[in-house]
Amino acid sequence: MNANILLIPVMLPLAGGILCLLIPKKVRWFREGLSILIAALSTITAFFIFFREIPGLHYNFLEFEKFNLHLDMVISPMSAFILLFITGFVFLVSIYSLSYFSHDNNPKEYPAFLLFALGGSCGVVTADHFLLFLIFWEIVTVSLYFLISTGGKDATKGATKTFAMLGGADGCLLLGIGLCWFMTESFTISQLNIPINGWMPVIAFLLMMTGAIAKAGAMPFHTWIPDASDSAPPPVMAVLPASIDKLLGIFLLVRISTSIFIITPSLGLVLMIIGAVTIIWAVMVAMVQHDLRRLLSYHAISQVGYMFLGIGTMNPIGLAGALFHMLNNSIYKNCLFLSCGAIKKRTGTTNLADLGGLAKVMPLTFTACLVSSLAISGVPPFNGFASKWLIYQGILDTGLKGSYIFLIAAMFGSALTLASFLKVIYSVFLGSKTRQAEKVKKEVPPAMAVPMLILALLCLLFGVWYALPLDNMINPAIGTSVVVGGSWNSTMASLLMAVGIILGLSIYLVGRLRKSARFVGSFIGGEKLDSETGRINGTHFYLTIKEMPFLRILYDFQEKGFFDPYNWLGKLGADITRVLRKIHNGMLSWYLSWSLAGIVILLGILFFT
Amino acid sequence: METAKYLFLFIIFPGFLFTALVGFFSVWVDRKVTARVQWRVGPPFLQPLYDFFKLLGKETLLPKKGSPLVFLAAPIFSLMAIVLVSTILWVGIFWKQSFIGDLIVVVYLLIIPSLSFMIGAMASGNPLATVGASREMKLIIAYELPFLICLATAILKSGASIQLAVIASSPVIASISGALASIVVLLCIHAKLGFTPFDVAEAETEIMEGIFIEYSGIPLALIKLTQAMMLFTLPIFLITVFLGGMNFSGWGILWSILKYVLVLVLIIVIKNTNPRVRVDQALKFFWLYLVPVSIVAFLLALLGMIYGIAWL
Repeated sequence: MNANILLIPVMLPLAGGILCLLIPKKVRWFREGLSILIAALSTITAFFIFFREIPGLHYNFLEFEKFNLHLDMVISPMSAFILLFITGFVFLVSIYSLSYFSHDNNPKEYPAFLLFALGGSCGVVTADHFLLFLIFWEIVTVSLYFLISTGGKDATKGATKTFAMLGGADGCLLLGIGLCWFMTESFTISQLNIPINGWMPVIAFLLMMTGAIAKAGAMPFHTWIPDASDSAPPPVMAVLPASIDKLLGIFLLVRISTSIFIITPSLGLVLMIIGAVTIIWAVMVAMVQHDLRRLLSYHAISQVGYMFLGIGTMNPIGLAGALFHMLNNSIYKNCLFLSCGAIKKRTGTTNLADLGGLAKVMPLTFTACLVSSLAISGVPPFNGFASKWLIYQGILDTGLKGSYIFLIAAMFGSALTLASFLKVIYSVFLGSKTRQAEKVKKEVPPAMAVPMLILALLCLLFGVWYALPLDNMINPAIGTSVVVGGSWNSTMASLLMAVGIILGLSIYLVGRLRKSARFVGSFIGGEKLDSETGRINGTHFYLTIKEMPFLRILYDFQEKGFFDPYNWLGKLGADITRVLRKIHNGMLSWYLSWSLAGIVILLGILFFT
Repeated sequence: METAKYLFLFIIFPGFLFTALVGFFSVWVDRKVTARVQWRVGPPFLQPLYDFFKLLGKETLLPKKGSPLVFLAAPIFSLMAIVLVSTILWVGIFWKQSFIGDLIVVVYLLIIPSLSFMIGAMASGNPLATVGASREMKLIIAYELPFLICLATAILKSGASIQLAVIASSPVIASISGALASIVVLLCIHAKLGFTPFDVAEAETEIMEGIFIEYSGIPLALIKLTQAMMLFTLPIFLITVFLGGMNFSGWGILWSILKYVLVLVLIIVIKNTNPRVRVDQALKFFWLYLVPVSIVAFLLALLGMIYGIAWL
């Protein structure tokens, strides 16, 4: 197969995006048709790339002594399956967006920048040249900024914060790449294999890790996700921060910690600590959120912790678990944000206090949301459990006895996740209806329901037959076949669960349920409550936990933005500029003396070197 | 053939039928001991069975508000999960081999009954049931943390293996850390069973059975069956992980049954001699008292591991 096929999923969306921006706003069908068509073509190409052996692509572009810029693209087993999922997600979300955006509110930029993001992220996973990699990486960041901005005027603040934080982290990545070049004088990613000894590789690793952390959204550079979610359209959150950004961030982290650098156990420990803290604290914050979008975005952060934990174990099982969890997380998180979008579409709100009782009118959304909630909470036999289980095996395999702390943190994190999603299921779908929910009369259109259901089905498939993705995607990617110490026979367990369900149903049949059933109102000890006063607000479920002695202080800090590096760095930046502003006082003599001082310093450096 | 064997294990022995029968026996023990504590005579041996079949024949009331389908489906899922756990544990006990899953799988499966109860309660549309469900979830969060720390202690003590058969073969309780952890896990299991003093989710006197308030007839029969099975399975879990498992050869039979009855009676006595706590008190009890105890147990086990002292 020709190597040029690698260019299709990168160049086609980029060209399509430019075309989308050029055509007038009125021709909506053309823009959306084009985006779906291109996403479909890219998906088909990604399938080809996944199933065939594709040689690398190499075009000389520019060479200047040691410095060069080539168009190097190469496909590895890991990038092949990530490519497949990136294109698939964009395809599903662009179908979803057909119905999500109404006639009077369909931002022209949306399909264009969705395509840019697609092209950019396909470029990131295939690029084999660091500068090319960085260019594509930036394309994704910029498209994310514009996509969040499509949420209207309110979205500006979140978009700016996102751009500032990701931009800053990308700066760190650039510095890291620079250090790598300084050490090896090579930009070819696949040739790098830097052992970590001395301070320079450590700094380079940490800088590049910062880029990965911010992109994937682990602590401490996670705060852009909740702020972006405040007013960005849910499909945007679904496609970028919830899935593609995770795929890219973890892709980079896996590359730097397994192939670009040879990391030491202490750096692995750093990753594990970041992971454990992220899991616990993000989910604790998520539990007390009042808005569905913010809640989901905190879970998007918390799940990254599992991947960091898996990569930090530095053994094949943990790594396989991390990659598998990355895949699973992007599937169910995508599904959750899409169902959030369905709820917003029908009720016009995502405030948990204003929702309730939607299960009857929106059964498909309910099913998709319930399945993905169970998957994210790690309930067997869904996919979230399979990958978490692999990560736990990896933690046990590290040989560090103290690493059991991480095991406890990770398992406790999934109990907290369950708590949080129980609140969502209750507040949105069960319980009694609120005024906003009364208005809803029908399920979302099929263009929105089908992508959600496909993703929910994937959650189940990847859970029941978890050997399938593990053998075909994950094991080739890490190059070894994973030997697991414990046992989880998911297929047989699912079969037995099905038998158990049939047993339960047959008890219903034996008791002749249909004859004996009768519908009655709720029994509240004889009290007569109308639906408003008799309604329990789901947002107050975990107040008891918020009011625990020590936790109260932490939650207080969280609300004041203490854990947000954006605030700290913003304040620092403002202080520095205040000092610098004093220098610019408009007097010519000052400026001249500054220039003179600069020249003297430069001459001094030239003279001494 | 393999599948047929698994189906037999799951449905007849040691799965559904066996667990149900022994579960009903445990319920009888519970009711009898409770009656004796309260100076009553107590019910006849087959009473739990009679109750079950009577409920099957009763009228089933479905909630007008909420979603009846989820309401009816929830008890089925709880039943399925507890049968699966019981099968996994007993295959490990009888045949000393791993079946379907390891300790982590069992811990996750053990959440499903409570989870289904909560979802069923929320689907009933009754505000009291919702209060019960939110309390149940807080209780899960409360006991899960010490529970997990103690399980990590048990894994440490039994040589870093999470295979049930391996853990069962090492008596974790025969050490200081193991003994502390066993006590903590006993209390966690108590909370899992929803017994007084941790019956905040049911709290008959204030929210009238809370999560089960709307259930009647067949779904209630399924819930009673699930609870009976839990009363049997959870002590077996404690015995497998902490008390050196069960052994069915020679005098081992007697000793194993004695272990089970002891744990069961201990749970029943605790249940009958304590008043109910509030949910915030339960949270504080588990997090501020039992978590430090389990951390001490964990650290002792770690020290014992590093310095090779078995009794620590």
